[in-house]
Amino acid sequence: MADAIEKVSPLHALAEPGRFGDTSGEPGVGLSERLCDSLVQVQAWPDSISALKKAVKSVTGASIKPGNAVATKGDVVLMSTGPGRWLVEDETDDLEVRLRKAIGADIGAVTALTHARTVVSISGERCEWVLASGIALDFSADAFPVGTAKLSHHHEIGLTIHRTGDQAFDLYVVTSMVRSFWGWIARASAEVGYTVS
Amino acid sequence: MLLIHCPYCDETLPEPEFAYAGEAHIDRPADPQQLSDEEWRDFLFIRTNAKGPHYERWRHINGCARFFNAVRDTVSDKFLTTYKAGEARPDLAKLLEGQK
Ligand SMILES: [Zn+2]
Repeated sequence: MADAIEKVSPLHALAEPGRFGDTSGEPGVGLSERLCDSLVQVQAWPDSISALKKAVKSVTGASIKPGNAVATKGDVVLMSTGPGRWLVEDETDDLEVRLRKAIGADIGAVTALTHARTVVSISGERCEWVLASGIALDFSADAFPVGTAKLSHHHEIGLTIHRTGDQAFDLYVVTSMVRSFWGWIARASAEVGYTVS
Repeated sequence: MLLIHCPYCDETLPEPEFAYAGEAHIDRPADPQQLSDEEWRDFLFIRTNAKGPHYERWRHINGCARFFNAVRDTVSDKFLTTYKAGEARPDLAKLLEGQK
Protein backbone atom coordinates (compact mmCIF):
# COMPACT_ATOMS: atom_id res chain seq x y z
CA MET A 1 0.00 0.00 0.00
CA ALA A 2 1.22 3.48 -0.79
CA ASP A 3 2.27 5.75 2.03
CA ALA A 4 0.00 8.57 3.09
CA ILE A 5 -0.16 11.33 0.52
CA GLU A 6 2.54 13.90 1.18
CA LYS A 7 1.14 17.31 2.03
CA VAL A 8 2.22 20.06 -0.33
CA SER A 9 2.02 23.69 0.71
CA PRO A 10 -0.52 25.65 -1.33
CA LEU A 11 1.70 28.66 -0.64
CA HIS A 12 4.73 26.97 -2.21
CA ALA A 13 7.28 29.54 -3.44
CA LEU A 14 5.04 32.36 -2.18
CA ALA A 15 5.52 32.21 1.60
CA GLU A 16 9.30 31.96 1.77
CA PRO A 17 10.91 32.56 5.16
CA GLY A 18 12.52 35.93 5.66
CA ARG A 19 12.08 39.56 6.59
CA PHE A 20 9.98 41.76 4.31
CA GLY A 21 8.35 45.16 3.89
CA ASP A 22 9.48 47.99 6.12
CA THR A 23 12.81 46.89 7.60
CA SER A 24 13.57 50.13 9.44
CA GLY A 25 12.49 48.87 12.88
CA GLU A 26 11.27 45.75 14.62
CA PRO A 27 8.84 43.76 12.43
CA GLY A 28 5.21 44.62 13.23
CA VAL A 29 3.91 41.12 12.57
CA GLY A 30 4.98 37.57 11.83
CA LEU A 31 3.18 35.39 9.30
CA SER A 32 3.26 31.64 8.98
CA GLU A 33 1.39 28.84 7.31
CA ARG A 34 0.05 25.71 8.98
CA LEU A 35 -1.47 22.64 7.33
CA CYS A 36 -3.93 20.84 9.59
CA ASP A 37 -3.40 17.16 10.31
CA SER A 38 -7.18 16.76 10.61
CA LEU A 39 -9.91 19.35 10.19
CA VAL A 40 -13.51 18.13 10.12
CA GLN A 41 -16.85 19.95 10.07
CA VAL A 42 -19.73 18.45 12.03
CA GLN A 43 -23.29 19.67 11.54
CA ALA A 44 -26.22 18.57 13.71
CA TRP A 45 -29.88 18.44 12.74
CA PRO A 46 -32.01 21.02 14.61
CA ASP A 47 -33.13 18.36 17.14
CA SER A 48 -29.83 16.48 17.52
CA ILE A 49 -27.48 19.22 18.73
CA SER A 50 -27.01 17.73 22.21
CA ALA A 51 -26.44 14.25 20.76
CA LEU A 52 -23.80 15.67 18.44
CA LYS A 53 -22.10 17.52 21.30
CA LYS A 54 -21.95 14.25 23.22
CA ALA A 55 -20.47 12.45 20.23
CA VAL A 56 -17.79 15.12 19.75
CA LYS A 57 -16.91 14.87 23.44
CA SER A 58 -16.65 11.07 23.28
CA VAL A 59 -14.34 11.23 20.25
CA THR A 60 -12.11 14.17 21.19
CA GLY A 61 -12.36 14.35 24.98
CA ALA A 62 -13.11 18.08 24.68
CA SER A 63 -16.45 19.73 25.46
CA ILE A 64 -18.03 22.19 23.04
CA LYS A 65 -18.32 25.63 24.63
CA PRO A 66 -21.29 27.97 24.23
CA GLY A 67 -21.38 30.75 21.67
CA ASN A 68 -18.18 31.54 19.82
CA ALA A 69 -15.87 30.44 22.65
CA VAL A 70 -13.28 27.99 21.35
CA ALA A 71 -12.67 24.79 23.28
CA THR A 72 -9.07 23.60 23.30
CA LYS A 73 -7.73 20.51 25.00
CA GLY A 74 -4.33 19.11 24.11
CA ASP A 75 -4.19 19.15 20.32
CA VAL A 76 -7.99 19.42 19.95
CA VAL A 77 -9.66 22.67 18.83
CA LEU A 78 -13.48 23.04 18.63
CA MET A 79 -14.87 26.18 16.95
CA SER A 80 -18.48 27.15 16.35
CA THR A 81 -19.23 28.10 12.72
CA GLY A 82 -23.03 28.42 12.88
CA PRO A 83 -26.10 26.97 14.60
CA GLY A 84 -25.35 23.31 15.41
CA ARG A 85 -22.14 23.38 13.40
CA TRP A 86 -18.52 23.16 14.53
CA LEU A 87 -15.04 22.75 13.14
CA VAL A 88 -13.05 20.05 14.89
CA GLU A 89 -9.27 19.99 14.56
CA ASP A 90 -6.64 17.69 16.01
CA GLU A 91 -3.20 16.31 15.17
CA THR A 92 -4.22 12.76 14.34
CA ASP A 93 -4.79 11.38 10.85
CA ASP A 94 -8.05 9.55 11.57
CA LEU A 95 -10.28 12.18 13.17
CA GLU A 96 -12.77 12.00 10.30
CA VAL A 97 -13.08 8.21 10.62
CA ARG A 98 -13.64 8.42 14.38
CA LEU A 99 -16.22 11.20 14.06
CA ARG A 100 -18.06 9.29 11.31
CA LYS A 101 -18.31 6.26 13.59
CA ALA A 102 -19.79 8.35 16.40
CA ILE A 103 -22.04 10.60 14.29
CA GLY A 104 -24.52 8.64 12.22
CA ALA A 105 -26.92 10.19 9.73
CA ASP A 106 -29.51 10.41 12.51
CA ILE A 107 -27.26 12.81 14.45
CA GLY A 108 -25.76 14.91 11.68
CA ALA A 109 -23.28 15.29 8.85
CA VAL A 110 -19.50 14.93 8.93
CA THR A 111 -17.41 16.67 6.27
CA ALA A 112 -13.63 16.36 6.02
CA LEU A 113 -12.00 19.74 5.37
CA THR A 114 -8.36 18.87 6.11
CA HIS A 115 -7.21 19.62 2.57
CA ALA A 116 -9.80 22.34 2.01
CA ARG A 117 -8.44 24.82 4.54
CA THR A 118 -5.01 26.32 5.09
CA VAL A 119 -4.25 28.12 8.33
CA VAL A 120 -2.48 31.47 8.03
CA SER A 121 -1.20 32.56 11.44
CA ILE A 122 -0.45 36.17 12.21
CA SER A 123 1.13 37.38 15.41
CA GLY A 124 2.91 40.41 16.74
CA GLU A 125 2.28 43.87 18.05
CA ARG A 126 0.53 45.18 14.93
CA CYS A 127 -1.59 42.14 14.06
CA GLU A 128 -4.92 43.76 15.04
CA TRP A 129 -4.08 46.76 12.86
CA VAL A 130 -3.09 44.64 9.85
CA LEU A 131 -6.26 42.51 10.03
CA ALA A 132 -8.51 45.53 10.55
CA SER A 133 -7.11 47.10 7.39
CA GLY A 134 -8.95 44.57 5.24
CA ILE A 135 -11.46 42.63 7.33
CA ALA A 136 -14.54 44.47 8.61
CA LEU A 137 -14.53 43.17 12.19
CA ASP A 138 -13.63 44.84 15.45
CA PHE A 139 -10.34 43.13 16.36
CA SER A 140 -9.88 44.87 19.70
CA ALA A 141 -9.56 42.43 22.60
CA ASP A 142 -12.82 43.68 24.15
CA ALA A 143 -14.87 42.87 21.06
CA PHE A 144 -12.84 39.83 20.01
CA PRO A 145 -11.46 38.16 23.16
CA VAL A 146 -8.69 35.58 23.24
CA GLY A 147 -10.15 32.09 22.88
CA THR A 148 -13.05 33.02 20.63
CA ALA A 149 -13.58 32.47 16.91
CA LYS A 150 -15.51 34.50 14.34
CA LEU A 151 -16.47 34.00 10.74
CA SER A 152 -15.95 36.73 8.22
CA HIS A 153 -14.43 37.27 4.84
CA HIS A 154 -11.86 39.24 2.93
CA HIS A 155 -13.54 40.26 -0.31
CA GLU A 156 -15.14 36.98 -1.44
CA ILE A 157 -12.76 34.73 0.51
CA GLY A 158 -14.45 33.17 3.53
CA LEU A 159 -12.47 33.10 6.78
CA THR A 160 -12.77 31.44 10.17
CA ILE A 161 -10.69 33.51 12.57
CA HIS A 162 -9.52 32.14 15.93
CA ARG A 163 -7.88 34.55 18.37
CA THR A 164 -5.25 32.28 19.90
CA GLY A 165 -3.52 34.95 21.97
CA ASP A 166 -3.36 38.61 22.89
CA GLN A 167 -1.41 39.25 19.74
CA ALA A 168 -2.05 36.11 17.70
CA PHE A 169 -4.75 34.93 15.31
CA ASP A 170 -5.20 31.75 13.25
CA LEU A 171 -7.09 32.35 10.01
CA TYR A 172 -8.61 29.27 8.38
CA VAL A 173 -8.67 30.11 4.67
CA VAL A 174 -10.17 28.11 1.81
CA THR A 175 -7.10 26.39 0.35
CA SER A 176 -7.93 27.14 -3.29
CA MET A 177 -8.04 30.87 -2.40
CA VAL A 178 -5.12 31.03 0.01
CA ARG A 179 -2.53 32.22 -2.52
CA SER A 180 -4.71 35.21 -3.26
CA PHE A 181 -5.34 35.82 0.44
CA TRP A 182 -1.62 35.58 1.19
CA GLY A 183 -1.00 38.24 -1.47
CA TRP A 184 -3.25 40.60 0.46
CA ILE A 185 -2.02 39.85 3.96
CA ALA A 186 1.63 40.13 2.91
CA ARG A 187 1.00 43.53 1.28
CA ALA A 188 -1.04 44.70 4.24
CA SER A 189 1.80 43.65 6.56
CA ALA A 190 4.51 45.31 4.47
CA GLU A 191 3.75 48.73 5.91
CA VAL A 192 4.62 47.59 9.43
CA GLY A 193 7.34 45.15 8.36
CA TYR A 194 6.88 41.39 8.66
CA THR A 195 8.66 38.12 8.98
CA VAL A 196 7.64 34.82 7.43
CA SER A 197 8.55 31.67 9.30
CA MET B 1 -20.58 50.92 7.38
CA LEU B 2 -24.09 49.44 7.52
CA LEU B 3 -24.32 46.95 10.37
CA ILE B 4 -26.79 44.06 10.44
CA HIS B 5 -27.74 41.91 13.42
CA CYS B 6 -27.69 38.16 12.67
CA PRO B 7 -30.34 36.54 14.91
CA TYR B 8 -28.48 33.21 14.79
CA CYS B 9 -24.98 34.50 15.61
CA ASP B 10 -26.55 37.13 17.87
CA GLU B 11 -23.93 39.59 16.69
CA THR B 12 -24.08 42.85 14.79
CA LEU B 13 -21.80 42.54 11.79
CA PRO B 14 -20.83 44.43 8.63
CA GLU B 15 -23.18 44.36 5.68
CA PRO B 16 -20.64 42.76 3.27
CA GLU B 17 -20.98 39.53 5.30
CA PHE B 18 -24.64 39.39 4.23
CA ALA B 19 -26.58 38.87 1.03
CA TYR B 20 -30.07 40.19 0.26
CA ALA B 21 -32.50 37.43 -0.66
CA GLY B 22 -35.75 39.07 -1.74
CA GLU B 23 -39.08 39.74 -0.07
CA ALA B 24 -39.95 37.63 2.99
CA HIS B 25 -43.08 35.71 3.95
CA ILE B 26 -43.89 34.51 0.45
CA ASP B 27 -45.10 30.92 0.69
CA ARG B 28 -44.56 28.60 -2.20
CA PRO B 29 -48.01 27.39 -3.33
CA ALA B 30 -48.73 23.91 -1.95
CA ASP B 31 -50.05 22.68 -5.28
CA PRO B 32 -48.62 24.69 -8.18
CA GLN B 33 -50.55 22.52 -10.68
CA GLN B 34 -53.79 24.09 -9.50
CA LEU B 35 -52.64 27.66 -10.14
CA SER B 36 -53.63 29.76 -13.12
CA ASP B 37 -50.85 31.35 -15.14
CA GLU B 38 -51.68 34.67 -13.51
CA GLU B 39 -51.47 33.23 -9.99
CA TRP B 40 -48.13 31.57 -10.82
CA ARG B 41 -46.84 34.82 -12.28
CA ASP B 42 -47.88 36.63 -9.10
CA PHE B 43 -46.04 34.10 -6.93
CA LEU B 44 -42.87 34.30 -9.00
CA PHE B 45 -42.61 37.96 -9.87
CA ILE B 46 -45.09 40.29 -8.24
CA ARG B 47 -43.70 41.96 -5.12
CA THR B 48 -44.89 44.76 -2.85
CA ASN B 49 -41.96 47.06 -3.79
CA ALA B 50 -42.54 48.96 -0.56
CA LYS B 51 -41.42 52.53 -0.05
CA GLY B 52 -40.68 52.43 3.67
CA PRO B 53 -40.62 49.38 5.98
CA HIS B 54 -40.17 46.19 4.00
CA TYR B 55 -40.22 42.56 5.18
CA GLU B 56 -37.30 40.87 3.49
CA ARG B 57 -34.95 37.90 3.63
CA TRP B 58 -31.25 38.16 4.22
CA ARG B 59 -28.55 35.51 4.37
CA HIS B 60 -25.46 35.60 6.59
CA ILE B 61 -23.50 34.13 3.71
CA ASN B 62 -20.00 34.90 5.02
CA GLY B 63 -20.86 33.80 8.54
CA CYS B 64 -23.25 31.13 9.78
CA ALA B 65 -24.79 30.91 6.27
CA ARG B 66 -28.36 31.00 7.66
CA PHE B 67 -31.32 32.76 6.05
CA PHE B 68 -33.23 35.11 8.34
CA ASN B 69 -35.80 37.87 7.99
CA ALA B 70 -35.55 41.61 8.49
CA VAL B 71 -37.69 44.71 8.45
CA ARG B 72 -35.74 47.40 6.65
CA ASP B 73 -36.86 50.87 5.67
CA THR B 74 -36.19 51.10 1.92
CA VAL B 75 -36.00 54.90 2.10
CA SER B 76 -33.51 55.30 4.95
CA ASP B 77 -31.85 51.83 4.63
CA LYS B 78 -32.36 51.50 8.40
CA PHE B 79 -32.99 48.04 9.82
CA LEU B 80 -35.94 48.11 12.23
CA THR B 81 -35.34 44.52 13.33
CA THR B 82 -34.11 41.10 12.26
CA TYR B 83 -35.62 37.76 13.30
CA LYS B 84 -35.19 34.06 12.66
CA ALA B 85 -36.69 32.38 9.61
CA GLY B 86 -40.02 30.75 10.46
CA GLU B 87 -40.96 33.36 13.07
CA ALA B 88 -44.11 35.41 12.54
CA ARG B 89 -44.02 38.89 11.05
CA PRO B 90 -43.29 41.37 13.83
CA ASP B 91 -45.90 44.04 14.50
CA LEU B 92 -44.90 47.06 12.44
CA ALA B 93 -46.72 49.60 14.64
CA LYS B 94 -44.75 48.41 17.68
CA LEU B 95 -41.46 48.52 15.75
CA LEU B 96 -42.09 52.06 14.59
CA GLU B 97 -43.07 53.06 18.12
CA GLY B 98 -39.73 51.65 19.32
CA GLN B 99 -37.88 53.80 16.78
CA LYS B 100 -39.20 57.05 18.25
ZN1 LIG C 1 -25.06 34.45 11.45
